[in-house]
Amino acid sequence: MTERPYWIAAGTVGWGAIVLWKAAELPQFDQYAHVGPGFMPSAVGLGLVLLGLMLALQIRRGVSFEEQSAEDVSEDHHVSYTALGLVALACALPMLTMKPLGFVITCAGCFVLIAAAFKSRRWYLDIVIGLGFALLCWWLFRKLGVQLGGLLPMMGV
Amino acid sequence: MDAITGLMNGFSVALQPQNLIWCFVGTFLGTAIGVLPGIGPALTIALLLPVTVYIEPTAAFIMFAGIFYGAMYGGSTTSILLNTPGESGSMMTALEGNKMARKGRGAAALCTAAIGSFVAGTIGTLGITFLAPPIAELAFIFKPQDYFALMLLAFLSVSVVMGTSKVRGFIALFLGLSLGVIGIDKQTGLQRLTFDVPDLMDGVEMTVVLVSLFAIGETLYVASRFGFQKPNLNPLAGGIWMTKEDWKRSWKPWLRGTLFGFPIGALPAGGAEIPTFLSYTVERNLTKHPEEFGHGAIEGVAGPEAANNAAAAGVLVPLLTLGLPTSATAAILLAAFQNYGLQPGPLLFINSADLVWGLIASLYVGNLMLLILNLPLAGLWVRLLFIPRPYLYAGILIFSLVGIWGVSNSWVDLAMMFGVGLLGYAMRVYDFPIAPVLIGLILGPMAEVQMRRALAVGQGDPLVFVSTPLSAVLVAISVLIVIVPAMLHWRRTRKIDMPDEAAGV
Repeated sequence: MTERPYWIAAGTVGWGAIVLWKAAELPQFDQYAHVGPGFMPSAVGLGLVLLGLMLALQIRRGVSFEEQSAEDVSEDHHVSYTALGLVALACALPMLTMKPLGFVITCAGCFVLIAAAFKSRRWYLDIVIGLGFALLCWWLFRKLGVQLGGLLPMMGV
Repeated sequence: MDAITGLMNGFSVALQPQNLIWCFVGTFLGTAIGVLPGIGPALTIALLLPVTVYIEPTAAFIMFAGIFYGAMYGGSTTSILLNTPGESGSMMTALEGNKMARKGRGAAALCTAAIGSFVAGTIGTLGITFLAPPIAELAFIFKPQDYFALMLLAFLSVSVVMGTSKVRGFIALFLGLSLGVIGIDKQTGLQRLTFDVPDLMDGVEMTVVLVSLFAIGETLYVASRFGFQKPNLNPLAGGIWMTKEDWKRSWKPWLRGTLFGFPIGALPAGGAEIPTFLSYTVERNLTKHPEEFGHGAIEGVAGPEAANNAAAAGVLVPLLTLGLPTSATAAILLAAFQNYGLQPGPLLFINSADLVWGLIASLYVGNLMLLILNLPLAGLWVRLLFIPRPYLYAGILIFSLVGIWGVSNSWVDLAMMFGVGLLGYAMRVYDFPIAPVLIGLILGPMAEVQMRRALAVGQGDPLVFVSTPLSAVLVAISVLIVIVPAMLHWRRTRKIDMPDEAAGV
């Protein structure tokens, strides 16, 4: 790839700066242990900033970024941004719907979105399978004692 | 308690009927989920964590033992039949194994992998049985600075060994470390990096980060680059089992692979890449059929697969005796221990002897079960490869949500799933190794505790970190791990390029 992803370096430096800034509010040293609660975050933040700068230097020198191989990935690594967007939407959906609509409906929604991202065209079937599978998981894990919330929290069930 | 009595006790725990059933459930689920594409051993255990929440600890760990070996074996099945190694340790297996499968020798490849795994797993477990207790004893005389030096070594070696670039490995490590400092500082009670969000006071949940990085990141990545070829295989058709010739060519590689895998896996700098690679190279040099290498040589499957499994067993030695995880799978096992309020380390062998020895005994039992389960059931596992991909990945997301939402019903965890999932995607696209994030997250806070303890004992003198022979040696090795490759790189680039171009790290 000829691309130069400076934004990764910027992101690393940025996150390091946030860590440093929050760490600066804490005492760095103390009487008893000599190293205070702020020391480790400061060190980590500083490390991130330095590593981000080193990465920027490597990117400037034109270091290559090979995509990792994985199962089910096409050989030419052709990117479909529609599919990426659909999956991202599916991952964001629980933030909006988990509290009001509950686990089962949220999961069914995610299921349909992901199936669509993988080019499934049978909407009705996806909804039915998604609802069924989500309901099964919800019921089964509740039996096992995992707290997944009510069936329909909005209606108080 | 010496090893033999301990082991006998362990077997009396592991062979109880209900524990045998848990072990069976573990191996079965572990293999089934391990066969699925995109799911390696670490994620398998993370996804199955919620299942064990309300089982008593001994039974849960017996199940984990089954899952652990089962997932390893499931991974090799996919590598051989689909040429798609789910994790770096099975890359070498895929190389020769898939060629064998294409020549209609898939059954023999699966067979030598299964028996090799069994041999390596059993010898590795023997190693754990007799090595773990003395190391645990040794750990009692470890001082905080020794622990700190050991963790430093683990940090550095994980970042340097994994992945292609050291800078990227260290960025991954430091990301994990930065997530690890979030929460209330246990010594002073001050909030660190919580941004006044109450849900973050307890720190970042390991399960959430692991599931998001692996499952969510993988789903995003695969969906965006989806290219599914229906697996064109019928492995059991042309499949004669291993012939006499195959046995003759396999048994030595099994043993040699184990010999490479276990000790390297047990080192804090371990991992499965080096032993599997070593084993492949050695088999290639020793074989009487060098012309077959690259076209499906059975030694190239038997050796690396044994090395991979033996390394996985070796990783359990530092985990159980020192509480030191050196792989993603070990990190999630450590998180599972902590979920039960148990801290792996020397005290575990005293306080929870039943649990530890039950776990070790289950490793033997699980290994045997796998062999019995896998040889006849290979046909069933193969069928799992044909699950329609839309439903498979959608199902993985629902399972991830069970794991993430089930932890504490927290909205912040869901937001974290989204954010860390995107991070996992970017890390795959730009080739950052993922395991150092988890090691940093889980080992970071432990290293900090040891560092502060050591400084308190040493009254603030930084030389305390090299004050014992062990800590001095470990710190020296750590420094060398970083300096030597950098120096070599510097000398190489100096010869080729302009001298000022060479700041190579």
